[in-house]
Amino acid sequence: MVTKESIQKAYIDYVLTDGEQPKSVYVFAKKQKMAEEEFYKVFGSFEAIEQSIWTDLAATAIAEVKGQQVWAGYSAREKALSFFYSFFELLKSKRSFATWSVKKIHKGFATPMVWQGLKSEFEALSISILQEGIESTELADRKFFADRYKDALWVQFVFTLNFGINDISAGFEKTDEAIERGVNVTFDLFQRSPIDNLLEYGKFLVNNGGIKEKMGF
Amino acid sequence: MKEQNSIPTSKVQRSAKFVGTGFKIGGNYIKHYSKKLFNPDMNNDELNQDNAADIYESLSELKGSALKVAQMLSMDKNLLPKAYVDKFSLSQYNAPPLSGPLIVQTFRKLFGKTPEQIYDKFELRSTNAASIGQVHRAELKGRKLAVKIQYPGVGDSISSDLKLVKPFAFRLLGMSEKELDIYMKEVEERLLEETDYDLEVRRSIEFSQACANLDNIVFPEYFPELSGKRVITMSWIEGMHLKEFLATNPSQQLRNQIGQALWDFYNFQQHELRAVHADPHPGNFLITPEGKLGVIDFGCIKEMPDDFYYPFFSTTSNELIDNKEETLKAFRQLEMILPKDSPGQVEFYYGMYKEMIGLFAKPYLTETFDFSQSDFFDNLYNFGEKIARMPEFKQARGVKHFIYVNRTNFGLYNILHELKAEVKTDTYKPHVLLEY
Repeated sequence: MVTKESIQKAYIDYVLTDGEQPKSVYVFAKKQKMAEEEFYKVFGSFEAIEQSIWTDLAATAIAEVKGQQVWAGYSAREKALSFFYSFFELLKSKRSFATWSVKKIHKGFATPMVWQGLKSEFEALSISILQEGIESTELADRKFFADRYKDALWVQFVFTLNFGINDISAGFEKTDEAIERGVNVTFDLFQRSPIDNLLEYGKFLVNNGGIKEKMGF
Repeated sequence: MKEQNSIPTSKVQRSAKFVGTGFKIGGNYIKHYSKKLFNPDMNNDELNQDNAADIYESLSELKGSALKVAQMLSMDKNLLPKAYVDKFSLSQYNAPPLSGPLIVQTFRKLFGKTPEQIYDKFELRSTNAASIGQVHRAELKGRKLAVKIQYPGVGDSISSDLKLVKPFAFRLLGMSEKELDIYMKEVEERLLEETDYDLEVRRSIEFSQACANLDNIVFPEYFPELSGKRVITMSWIEGMHLKEFLATNPSQQLRNQIGQALWDFYNFQQHELRAVHADPHPGNFLITPEGKLGVIDFGCIKEMPDDFYYPFFSTTSNELIDNKEETLKAFRQLEMILPKDSPGQVEFYYGMYKEMIGLFAKPYLTETFDFSQSDFFDNLYNFGEKIARMPEFKQARGVKHFIYVNRTNFGLYNILHELKAEVKTDTYKPHVLLEY
């Protein structure tokens, strides 16, 4: 029986053994003793397989953290941390594949094709976490910027992913530290800060301090 | 309590912290001298207080081994001005906790399960900081548990931390560099042992069994199957810390009982086990509602080899100290008197060390000893300050074992002093060897 999972598994096995993508779907299908059309019923291309592996990792991690009893009691910051930890823990089971897949990605600003599914899973989660955080006033609701929080979080995620792939410490403890520090820094920026207060004070003075008149506005 | 969101871990970040502290201390000196310009009678108390506050602030943000060093410095009251000591004592209780998800992650790594899957109940907010870790309440099968969790990467940062603390310790303690190196190396060894929770569980079980027969002492029960490299599970001991206990104005009889338990605990270990719980800071003890002493941390154990134990503790006996020839041999073995010393120096050090040991050994010489008397402690501190100012003592002397053994015993004396306890001191006596 050809399933999504069986193809994913066979594909990972293939690329890790041979160190490269199969020459064609035909070659791959033949080796797996399945008809080419059966492959196409499930996936359109090899990239689609890779994409689905990444997407599944994120989806599994999200399901897992949401299943934890503590999830509901977590703050937005803790929810993000929790997801990061779970994702990177899961990633360990597919580390060789992840390393191979990440190294293949050309560095650039655009989100690579294989991460598009991953990104949309991640964004959906980010948006709900950030929304909650803003509603509970844990995070500052800043005009224009608040909508960009999710992008900052994604950048943080990609950075941590690259860090994790290159981490050689025992038990990947450095990755844990990178997560703890990185996510916290990002959330510190999302929180109300002295700069917010300064800006608002400035606004107040402009409106009430007679600055407008003096400056001739 | 506000949660601390990250430990500054990279060396650069830590350095930045310390550099900042350096500036602040510089500022304190400037403040001090400008005030002194107008008021020549001002003494150094205010300055010391400012400095201690700034150093403490930076240390507590660094957590980990830096905090441990703060705890250690605060133990050596005899070496530090009082203002430093008061501030450093803070670090023994309150350090900010780490995030909940990191705790969950730590458990998943060690056991493959989340804390809520392992325990019936687990409190994600920590109740206490344990300097390189933090303590959480949990429950399993109706038993209350204490779960100690260590921060990741602690072992890594210890060495680099100690290097950073060095210039400050150097200033604070007024030691020579060589002396400090011996000190730092020994401290580093003990600290690295403390990060090994597997070892701590093994030792805790060993020591709590060995000390099981002592009166009025309770140990938690340890659960090795629920412990690992970075987690220790033990039964929860209900009780108060020393300061809280003293605030309740306990009766003299109760103070004596706790003091006696402490004395017996330490001296049984020193003289019978030859290995001692070398971290007598108040945070490691609890006083239970039944008036017993709970010992909750066996991270730091100092083993004493025979070639240190016998010469050191034998000098506490009058019989040896009255025999100058043998005492000199013992001092030589302990490297308190060095081979290259001139006859004049030998006489000098012999005299000083004899006086020092005479002070230190006082509680051992009588059947009971009243630790509430300030005279005894004033003499100790004054003597400590006197020799700290002597150029003869700038140079490193004494084997490295002194560091932790001294810390243990002075720490013990200090706690007993705070308790104002009167203690029977002949319960576990040193084994004495009269010839060397």
